Amino acid sequence: MSQTLSGNGLPPEALAELRHDLRTPLNHVIGYAEMLLEDATGDGAAAVRAHLESTLAAAREALGLINATLGTAKGAGQEDVNRLYEELRPPRGRIMDAATALLVGPGASAEGTFTADVRKILSAAERLVPSGMPAPSAAAARADQAAPEAAAPEPAGEMRARILVVDDGAENREVLRRRLERSGHVVETAEHGRQALERLAARPYDLVLLDVLMPELDGFAVLEAIKGTPALRDIPVIMISALDEMPSIVRCIEHGAEDFLHKPFDPVLLRARINASLEKKRLRDQEKEYLLQVNRVIDAATAVETGHYRQGELRDVAGRDDELGRLARVFDGMVSQLKAREDRLRERVRDLRAEIEQARRDSKEFGAAVDGGNLKTGDNFAQRYEILAVLGRGGMGTVYRARDLELEEEVAIKTLRPEFLSDATLLMRFKDEIRLARRLSDPNIVRTHDFGEWSGVCFLTMEYVEGITVRELLDTRGKLSTSSTLAIATQLAHSLAVAHEHGVIHRDIKPQNLLLDPDGVLKVMDFGISRLAERASTITEAGLVIGTPAYMPPEQLMAEEVDARSDLYAAGVVIYECLTGQTPFQGSTPISLIAKLLSEEPRPVLERNPEVSPAFSALVMQLLAKKPEARVQTARELGERLRELA
Amino acid sequence: MTKILLVEDNEMNRDMLSRRLQRKGYEVAMAVDGRQGVEMARQGGYDLILMDMSLPEIDGWEATRQLRAVPETKAVPIIGLTAHAMAGDREKALEAGCNDYDTKPVELPRLLSKIEALLGGGA
Repeated sequence: MSQTLSGNGLPPEALAELRHDLRTPLNHVIGYAEMLLEDATGDGAAAVRAHLESTLAAAREALGLINATLGTAKGAGQEDVNRLYEELRPPRGRIMDAATALLVGPGASAEGTFTADVRKILSAAERLVPSGMPAPSAAAARADQAAPEAAAPEPAGEMRARILVVDDGAENREVLRRRLERSGHVVETAEHGRQALERLAARPYDLVLLDVLMPELDGFAVLEAIKGTPALRDIPVIMISALDEMPSIVRCIEHGAEDFLHKPFDPVLLRARINASLEKKRLRDQEKEYLLQVNRVIDAATAVETGHYRQGELRDVAGRDDELGRLARVFDGMVSQLKAREDRLRERVRDLRAEIEQARRDSKEFGAAVDGGNLKTGDNFAQRYEILAVLGRGGMGTVYRARDLELEEEVAIKTLRPEFLSDATLLMRFKDEIRLARRLSDPNIVRTHDFGEWSGVCFLTMEYVEGITVRELLDTRGKLSTSSTLAIATQLAHSLAVAHEHGVIHRDIKPQNLLLDPDGVLKVMDFGISRLAERASTITEAGLVIGTPAYMPPEQLMAEEVDARSDLYAAGVVIYECLTGQTPFQGSTPISLIAKLLSEEPRPVLERNPEVSPAFSALVMQLLAKKPEARVQTARELGERLRELA
Repeated sequence: MTKILLVEDNEMNRDMLSRRLQRKGYEVAMAVDGRQGVEMARQGGYDLILMDMSLPEIDGWEATRQLRAVPETKAVPIIGLTAHAMAGDREKALEAGCNDYDTKPVELPRLLSKIEALLGGGA
């Protein structure tokens, strides 16, 4: 030790403290080893004695090294201290090896205190080289002031973590705490296993550094407790021990320890291991978070299906800058678009409904009741129907909405003015028509249920359709778009095709008879009863009772034979009105109208509405031909021609 | 049976030394700091006191001075123990009133010979 008197000698107090710190654990090693040696008698104890003697020899060698460097008469510098630590490693290792051999050897179970005392030897040996760095506080304080420690420079951008250090040695705890805090971590300590578990239960940690050899609850027991608790299981645990022995390391890893560190710590290795563990935990946490957020997107999709999705629910997921974030953003965007579209649609329907209500109120200037029935809401009719509302009044009678008390469903009831039914022959033919119409069953045709007479009032019951008529639609909206018109026309052509193929001519196709239900399905009503109106019209002077003849073909006005093509003419007028907002001819009186209708050619649709395609316009004009043979010949053909336009 | 009062704050030292002395046939009582050491010693009945010099509350130097200051403990032999084998520690210990002085780590045969010398030839 010739260099010990070099200029940077440590102060005597610091050396004395260091000497004490090193000699005390050796005192323990020697003391317990000697006691155990005294107990190790008998032939079977030879191996135990050999290990204890090896322990004692190593301890005495270590004592000699300490005295040589830190002997009272000499001074010592930092370099000397560092070299001493290096020199102490081999004897310290031999103490550890011998003690470990004693722990796993046959003597281990011999006596109750044997294992405990060997553990004390190990624990003391661990304290012999506290940190691999000059630990004594006075020396360290001076070193901190003078120059940076010989530790590796702290890399920037390291993870900051909350770390729990569990060690029964105060000095170890302190060294680890200082070292880790210098790396920017938040460090808390526990002196024993029980305290460690209390701390872990109280607050979350990112990492646990766990000493293996501790009194009472040792590191293995604490590790098992951590890994057996679901809330703690994912916290990485690095075991720290002076034991170099493979079974011990294996046992730690098997119990779920993340890593294993030997005392004394190499500061660079310590940091590397800690950072690796924290990085692994971060990745695991990230993965867990990712899966959690994937589940949230799936839940959101389910919520959209059931209509429970709340806008912005995925905001934090959408904040991610990866694929999942993009998915969440796209998803949220789609849902908001969908919602906006639904809102607009709902608004439009609401507006339309309001307009229709207004139109209905305006048209409530009904004439005096002429049906002879004169029923009011709540009346019981024909001992079977409860009148719910008046739907409309027309030339032939009144239409009510009523509940069929027998079948428990809503129906429409049309009462007929008695003068239409005074002729017995006429009534019979009318009943034939009804019988025929009842056979019609199609989604585009309002079903006729029954014909009856009660208290002198004749009536028809029909399927009740909640909806609006094309008349109401035209009155509120004016002309319709080409696509809406096509939708109406196509369905109208279909219903006529079905009726015509069953031998039923409608004879009174007009917007009032065309109902649109809330789904946009067209329902044609009054099949079979217009024969009555036609007859009535001859009885009551042309057109005066049944109102406008605007939809009637010339042959019908002339009381000539009508056929399927007559319905097609009427359909042409309806389509013309949908596209232009007007019927082809206007007249101030029915007579002047009829005159025009018979003699004039209507203005082409295209002239009144340039947005309509020439083909569509031409088709409508063909339907309006005065001669039936010049028109489209069948409803089915009309349907096909319309579909070609769509 | 010879009764020794061991005043030592370090648990492992206390455990080890007391057990070793018991093995040698002494009855050992223990105090964990200087104050407790003085209180127990004043109650009497001890043939010898082993006093660690670095103790919490009242250190070994002060505890020794207090024991020497009262008649009932004035004559009880005290062996001072310290890990600081600094030059002058021995003189300092004797000055404070210790009858003898030893350094840690304890070499049991040497300590035992000192104890026996002070007790006048054997337990």
